[in-house]
Amino acid sequence: MSLNSVTIVGGGMAGFTVAKELRSRGFEGALTLVDPAGLPYDRPPLSKDYLLGKRGAEDIRFSPAAWFEEHQVDVVTGTATALRPDEGVVVLADGTELVADRIVLATGGHARRLAIPGGDLESVLELRTLQDADRLRSLLTPGTRLAIVGAGLIGAEVASSALAFGAEVVLIDPVDPPLVPAVGPELARRLHDMHAEHGIKVVTGIPTAITADDAGHHIEMGEHGTIDADVVLVGIGIVPETALAESAGLDIDNGTLVDESQRTSHPRVYAAGDSARTRLADGTLLRRAEHWEHAMFAGEIAAAALLDQDLPVHGASWFWSDRHGVHVEGVGSMAAEGTTIIREADGNPAIALRVDAEGYLVGCAAIDGGLAVRAARRIIDRRILVDRDKLADPSIDLKKLAR
Amino acid sequence: MSDAINIGSVDDIDEGEAKVIPADENGTGEDIAVFHAEDGNFYALNDTCTHETASLADGWIEGVEVECPVHSAKFCLKTGEALCMPATIAARTHKVEVQDGEVLLYPNVPVEA
Repeated sequence: MSLNSVTIVGGGMAGFTVAKELRSRGFEGALTLVDPAGLPYDRPPLSKDYLLGKRGAEDIRFSPAAWFEEHQVDVVTGTATALRPDEGVVVLADGTELVADRIVLATGGHARRLAIPGGDLESVLELRTLQDADRLRSLLTPGTRLAIVGAGLIGAEVASSALAFGAEVVLIDPVDPPLVPAVGPELARRLHDMHAEHGIKVVTGIPTAITADDAGHHIEMGEHGTIDADVVLVGIGIVPETALAESAGLDIDNGTLVDESQRTSHPRVYAAGDSARTRLADGTLLRRAEHWEHAMFAGEIAAAALLDQDLPVHGASWFWSDRHGVHVEGVGSMAAEGTTIIREADGNPAIALRVDAEGYLVGCAAIDGGLAVRAARRIIDRRILVDRDKLADPSIDLKKLAR
Repeated sequence: MSDAINIGSVDDIDEGEAKVIPADENGTGEDIAVFHAEDGNFYALNDTCTHETASLADGWIEGVEVECPVHSAKFCLKTGEALCMPATIAARTHKVEVQDGEVLLYPNVPVEA
């Protein structure tokens, strides 16, 4: 059947990319994008420049309102509550029914809550949306005692940003250091140590309960006693938002299951981004990815698949984080089987290169080493076999090894 | 038509590298990056990425594209076009000529499409 209309549920990176790619790939039919927030915006700045007030709500939109008019993308501000895939219907909270030939679920995820007494307190904050960032910012003043549970990407970034408000920050994580799977132990150590160097109190432990009274919040930490805080933020990952897919009877397993063309178990419904998980033809389930670039790539694939075009091929996964004035990037897998080669800068580990048993580069992470990561990405994607000694030699530009 | 600035010999910028001509030297109020692309030609764009603050001269130059060293937005060196997210706004171009082995930058003179 020819494709005349598409409804996209969700205006994050994946949903927006589907709309953008459908138009740039020549789709001229009706295109509707539904999101409770209206115009799509970019989330990484929420813990950094947006929280700090350096960029406003309009600055972090993927595209200005005029783009959506020009490209005839109908942005509906609303919440999808049900799906009738056989009819191509998306039902909104106000009763509106949107009908289309195909539906793309780009519903992302919601912040995981602490499964402890008090973890569900309304005053325990999370950071997922613009409104979450506004609320957090409104509470940060000089001397505010901010406790952050979870020292992964969002927790570490907010901890760093909160210092600019003069907040007193406590950063709690059960693991010391966190992020080892993402950047390897050497860089993870250095990154985690930066928190204390900047005046953040770092606590390794597990909260067992949170209470709130007129004096603020009290986080019970077992042997670490009680941490008192005015504001508590929890950043311990997300839960994929699969309620719509579930209600429609689609296959789910920690994410809406899709094939390599982002198609769900229902032929009229596609899914992309944080909420989707790939199931290969042989039934193998891939790890669900939650990174920004992955969401963009999945959106590109979904758009190509919807138009029956060749699917774009993407290489090693990539992410970044910014905190304490440094820029962190990782590509491929630092947790893959193999050994790590470290390049130092000023006596500190700065670039970590993961090499497998055959000598192929499989992962790279770097602190303020964007070009090294870009070189590594090409070495990985092009399957260039590089001599270990050359990888380890800091006098050799990695860029030259990627040629 | 503004005057050209001689930014040096073609040999001063290796292929795949770039040089920043600071705002106070080029007169436009913005730093300009002059790239020696892998097609052998020289191109110039405003140095600051249109997405967030980052120097494109520090980026990854491949073919006739530059990839921002921070968030991997890509720009066409010939036209300034933003080729992928997170950038959606084109980078401003400036005309560059090579005469007698010298690289001449024309600040504020856009490259003709």
